[in-house]
Amino acid sequence: MSIGRGEPASGAGTSPAAGLARPILEVDNLTVTFGDGPGSVRAVDEVSLAVETGDIYAIVGESGCGKSTLAYALLDIIPPPGRVTSGEVRFKGRSLSQMSRGELNRVRAAEVAMVFQAAMNAFHPVITIGAHVDHTLQAHPEVFASRSEGREYFRYLLNLVRLRPERTWDAYESQLSGGMKQRVAIALALVLKPSVVVLDEPTTALDVLNQRLMIDILADLHRSLGVSIVFVTHDLALVAELAGRVAVMYAGRLVESGTVDEIFASGGRRHPYVTALTAAIPTVVGAVSDVRPIPGEVPNLAQLPPGCRFSPRCALAEPICQEQEPALLQDDRGHLVACHVANRLLGVPSK
Amino acid sequence: MDNVTHRYSAAVARPVLDRVSLAIRASEVVSLVGESGCGKTTLGKLIAGLERPSSGRVRFGGRDIWSLRGKEAKAWRLSVQLVHQDPYASLNPGLTIGSTLGAGLVHNKLARHHDLQEHLVALMRQVGLDATPEFLRRYPHQLSGGQRQRVAIARAISVRPQLVVADEVTSMLDVSLRVSILDLLRSFSEERGVASLFISHDLGVVRYFSQGGRILIMFYGVVVEEGPTEEVIAHPRHPYTYLLLEAVPVPNPGLARQRAAARASEVLEGEPSGTGCVYSNRCPFAEAKCRDSRPEAVEVGVGHWVACYFPERVPAVGSVPPVGEGSGGPLDVRSHEGGAKLVGGSTGDVRAGGIASVDG
Repeated sequence: MSIGRGEPASGAGTSPAAGLARPILEVDNLTVTFGDGPGSVRAVDEVSLAVETGDIYAIVGESGCGKSTLAYALLDIIPPPGRVTSGEVRFKGRSLSQMSRGELNRVRAAEVAMVFQAAMNAFHPVITIGAHVDHTLQAHPEVFASRSEGREYFRYLLNLVRLRPERTWDAYESQLSGGMKQRVAIALALVLKPSVVVLDEPTTALDVLNQRLMIDILADLHRSLGVSIVFVTHDLALVAELAGRVAVMYAGRLVESGTVDEIFASGGRRHPYVTALTAAIPTVVGAVSDVRPIPGEVPNLAQLPPGCRFSPRCALAEPICQEQEPALLQDDRGHLVACHVANRLLGVPSK
Repeated sequence: MDNVTHRYSAAVARPVLDRVSLAIRASEVVSLVGESGCGKTTLGKLIAGLERPSSGRVRFGGRDIWSLRGKEAKAWRLSVQLVHQDPYASLNPGLTIGSTLGAGLVHNKLARHHDLQEHLVALMRQVGLDATPEFLRRYPHQLSGGQRQRVAIARAISVRPQLVVADEVTSMLDVSLRVSILDLLRSFSEERGVASLFISHDLGVVRYFSQGGRILIMFYGVVVEEGPTEEVIAHPRHPYTYLLLEAVPVPNPGLARQRAAARASEVLEGEPSGTGCVYSNRCPFAEAKCRDSRPEAVEVGVGHWVACYFPERVPAVGSVPPVGEGSGGPLDVRSHEGGAKLVGGSTGDVRAGGIASVDG
C-alpha cells in the first residue's frame, strides 16, 4: 500500500501550464522526525506536494500539525533536534539535501525566501530599515549590478506593499506599527527577486482590517512580480480568499489537497476534518446556526491514536478507521483525500 | 459606564476613550468590536477597575465602583472578572492548576481546605476539563492552549461573578477550539445569568458569541455604532462598521472572489479627527459638516444607534446571507438590498437557510 504518495512529479496541479513545466518546489514523501528512539515524534509524516510556478499554495492546519516544520523544510532550515529522516525537498528538480552550502545559501535567499511567523519581531531594534536592506544586498552582491539599483528595487517593493519609501527607509522598527513591520518584512524577503516566497502565518496577530490589506497586497505581489507564494496558516477564510491550491495537514499527515474550489466545495469528496473545520468558523456570512465545534482536541504526536488520526473526533468513523491508516488517494483531477469513508463512498479505486 | 473619557497621559491630546457610555444588564451578552489600538482593552480594564477613568463614572449595580469601600468593594471585586487574551501568559507557570484555582476559592471562603478538592473537581467539570485530581496537579506548560484558556475561564467563574469581561479570548486558539470556548462562555450567561462583555476585532466570532445580544463598534475611543447583533451585521449604518464587515475574510472561495470584485479600495490611513466625526478623515462619504462637528448618536432602528450624519449613505452589505456557491457559475450574488441578482435578468432572493435552484 502506498500510504501518503501523492504523485508529486506528475503534478496534482490544475493550472493549464502544470503539465508541461516541472514544479518549482516539490516535497517528495518527506518525513521530519524530532528526537530519537521511542520518544521521537514525526512532525511531518510522509508528506508529498508540488508547487507549480505561479501558484499561490496554502498549507493549512492547526497548532502542532507540522505545517511550520514543513515550511522550514522547504528551505532546509528545520530547527534541531528535528531532521529529515526520509524523502526530500526539490527546488527546480534539485534536491536540497544534495546542494553544497554555497548553493543552498543562494537558494535560500535569492530563490526561496521566507517570511517567518511574527515577522514584525524580526528586525534589529537599533538599525534602520534601510540598513537591513543594505546588509541583505551586501550579502548577495550577485543579484544587482549596483547597490543603488537594489535600493531602488526595494523602494518599488515598498510601494507594492503600500508603504511610503521615504518614511520607511530611515525608520527604526519601533517607529512602525505591527502591520507595517509585517509588510516591510515581506518587501525585504522579496528584495533579492526570489521565485518562491514562503510565508508562515502571514495574517495571525493582525486585526481584520490589516488582514484584508495583507490579502490584497499578497494578491498584488503575485500579479505584479509573478512570484510563487506558499503560505502556512490555520485560517481557512484566508485560504479561501487567497489560495489557488491547498494542502490540509492533520497531526503531521497530509489529509487532503486540491484546488481551493475542491477543498471548499460542499457535497464533494472531502475529508471529514476539512468539512468540520469549515463548519467550525464563525463568519459574517451564512447562518450562525450552521456553525459547529469540532469535538475533542488535536492528538499529541507522541501518543497518536491507532488507524486514522482524526478518527476519535470524526463523526463518520467506522471500525476500519481505528485499525488502518487511510491512504491518500487521488481522483482523475488530482484531488487527494486520505479517508476510508470518503474514498469508498465515491468509488475512487484503490491503487 | 457614563460618559467615560480616559487618558493615559495628560500630554496626549487625543484621549484613549472619548465620552463612552455603555450599559450591560444582568445575563446580557455584549460585544465590543474595533481594530488594534482603538481602546477596547482599555475599556475592559476600566470596567474591571484596573484603571480609573480620567472623567465620567463606571458604575456597578448603580454604585460608582471608585466610591466602594470595605466589604462592598470586596464584593464588587469578585463580581467582575477578567479573562485575558493570552492563555500562555495569564497563568502562573510555577503553580499547579489546583493551586491556581484553589487560592481564590479558599481566600474568598467559597471553599475550605477539607472540601477544596471536591470544589475544584466540580469546577473542572463545568469548564469541560478532565475532572480528576491528577489534572489538578499539572502545571500550565503541560496543557494545550485550549485547556489553558478553560483554566483561565474556570478561575474567572470560580468566584461566582456577575460579569465576565473576555478580552480576545479566542484569538490565540486554534480554529477548531474557538467555537467550543465561545459555547462555554455563552453557557454561563444562559444557565447562570452571568453577563459578559466580549472584546474582539473579529466580527465573525462576535456575531457567533453575542447571538441575541448587542454589538458596540468602536473607532479610536468613540463608540460609532451600537445595536442588536444581527441588525448591526445585516444592516450596518456606520461607514466604519461597513468597512469592517467587508474586510472579514469569508471561508468560501466563490463568495470571496465576488466580494473582491465588488470591493472598493480601502483607506486605512488618515488620523482620527479631533474636532469633527472621529472617522471623517477615512470616510468615503464625509462632507464638510462631518469634519466640523461630531455627530451625536441617533436611533435608526429599535435599539440601533449610530453616530453618523449620513447613515443612509452606507450601502447594503453584500454579506447578508446571499449564499450561493458561485464557483464559476453565472450567479451574481452582489447584493442589492440583501437580495441577490441573477445575471440572466431575473432577480431572486437567495438567503441563508433558503433553497434556491438555478437551472441552465
